[in-house]
Amino acid sequence: MFDKVLIANRGEIALRIHRACREMGISTVAVHSTADADAMHVRLADESVCIGPPPARQSYLNIPAIIAACEITNPDAIHPGYGFLAENASFAQIVEEHGYVFIGPTPEHMRLMGDKISAKKTMKAQGIPVTPGSDGPVEDGKTALRLAAEIGYPVLVKASAGGGGKGLKVAPDRDSLAEAMALARAEARAAFGDDTLYLEKFLTAPRHIEIQVLADEHGNVIHLGERDCSLQRRHQKILEEAPAAALNDDQRSALGNTVVEAIRGLGYRGLGTVEFLYEDGDFHFIEMNTRLQVEHTVTEMITGIDLVREQIRVAAGAPLSFTQSEIRFQGHAIECRINAENPETMMPSPGTITSYHAPGGLGVRVDSALYAGYTIPATYDSMIAKLIVHGANRNECLMRLRRALEEFVIEGVDTTIPLHRRLIAEPDFVNGVYDVTWLEKFLGNLKQLRIRAALPPVSLILGSAALPDR
Amino acid sequence: MADNDTAGNKPAVKKMAVTKALKFDVDSDLIRRLAALLEETGLSEIELGDGDHRLRVARGGVRDIIQVETTPPSAPPPGVGETAPAAPAAPGAPPPGAVPSPMVGTVYLAPEPNAAPFVSVGDKVAKDDILFVIEAMKVMNPIRSPRAGTVLEIMVENGGPVEFGETLLVIG
Repeated sequence: MFDKVLIANRGEIALRIHRACREMGISTVAVHSTADADAMHVRLADESVCIGPPPARQSYLNIPAIIAACEITNPDAIHPGYGFLAENASFAQIVEEHGYVFIGPTPEHMRLMGDKISAKKTMKAQGIPVTPGSDGPVEDGKTALRLAAEIGYPVLVKASAGGGGKGLKVAPDRDSLAEAMALARAEARAAFGDDTLYLEKFLTAPRHIEIQVLADEHGNVIHLGERDCSLQRRHQKILEEAPAAALNDDQRSALGNTVVEAIRGLGYRGLGTVEFLYEDGDFHFIEMNTRLQVEHTVTEMITGIDLVREQIRVAAGAPLSFTQSEIRFQGHAIECRINAENPETMMPSPGTITSYHAPGGLGVRVDSALYAGYTIPATYDSMIAKLIVHGANRNECLMRLRRALEEFVIEGVDTTIPLHRRLIAEPDFVNGVYDVTWLEKFLGNLKQLRIRAALPPVSLILGSAALPDR
Repeated sequence: MADNDTAGNKPAVKKMAVTKALKFDVDSDLIRRLAALLEETGLSEIELGDGDHRLRVARGGVRDIIQVETTPPSAPPPGVGETAPAAPAAPGAPPPGAVPSPMVGTVYLAPEPNAAPFVSVGDKVAKDDILFVIEAMKVMNPIRSPRAGTVLEIMVENGGPVEFGETLLVIG
């Protein structure tokens, strides 16, 4: 096993990785920008190295600086977390070439899955259900029209290098296809420097369901069930739950086993997530994430397995600690992503935390690097905390989540806590009837409603609703 | 950990530190005796415990900073529900004329082992003179003087680690 791990990330995930390392007796090295000198992951790590100024490009994305930090601290392995360099295959390769272990899959698998066209082809060949589409790049308008007619409108135009909703356009009909392609091409060129496009059938109201897998380098592969991440705003997940209310046990194990066989076929190693859109009883592969995910926590809550610990063990060459038949799913878990954003306008709200109180009690977990007096830099992601709640069933989980959201106090900046309070009271959410379009519609309606009735902002309504009866 | 970790956690900082619990009179004779013992034995650290009192004497590095902590060494880091920590002011803001490191890596004072250093205390330097070389990813990066002046103090040691922003030397 490793003696020392360098954590090439920041915020709650750097802390999450640090915690797993400590429990394994592994010492940690934090790297940080000048903006994060007082950050919690830096305070708790055994060693810390300042690697650059605030802009991520010059610090957390600065490969030479991170390797230089390794050279002066001499860790056995590097954990990339999520975001930043976590899915950068050349970083993984450079790490390995310098004699350190990259805690993640091989650079080859990262490359294969990093390109959406090759990922889809590979998964299709491994027996994974995929969305009907062009099965490859689409160059000219004529071919696009022919393929779109075969697929059937509405058609989704997607950038091969895409992510985060960039380079993604819907063509509802034949007449709008050329325009959608031009827009997607321009966006993709600007965002990724690669304007390769492909076409896919557009699903109108699917759910986002993903399967968590874990594989070691000895050929053992298991799945850890699914997560429903359908509550999204601008393709950003804001709340995730496991298990998915829409699946029954048979569907769960059938999909899980299909994914396990595919991952085994690829010879993949490490943690991974295979994402699907689910509509009318059919699953359609979207992409595979070759890293630890933000929402890994809900899977941990229902399986009792520390995924980061397993990820580190597997990277060190150890076999999996359990077999598929030993995995038990217990109860229900929900994660709320708390962002430093205005709950109405979603405008980022950096600043100093004047007061902080995290909820507690049975089945409540908070993953956050916040503390009172901490200043959230404007330079990085706005996600500042994850509230994860576990209950014996979905109903108990929802009641506990409501209670925990009432207790959560973060003052000094705007947060999305009021939005979450509102969301989990919605009948559609309580009944589990929602899809990937639901949240946008809900937010739109909320805005309309307020304009018409000149109601105070939801944050005010909820602020008082959260208090005891008056 | 709040105050001492600014220096203690960082591999780049070596110090001579004296740790004591609250309301514990500093026994300077004892510290002197321990310091002498350190020299004599070649040890890098001696720690003594007596009831609530702990005394640690450590050595190493070029700067012999004696730092007396005012918090118990076991104080937990500021966390959930605690009040704001005192901003861990770096032990002394960089002095005027400080030249910060533009990168993280291993710093060398001379172009090769046994060669004369690029600069020594008292040297006059011109703008763009090479002051150090910092190695990162097996690449040697010359660090040039941002301005003309006299080298007042060199804050790093040959072959030691250096962080981004850490003071390399002071030019007056």
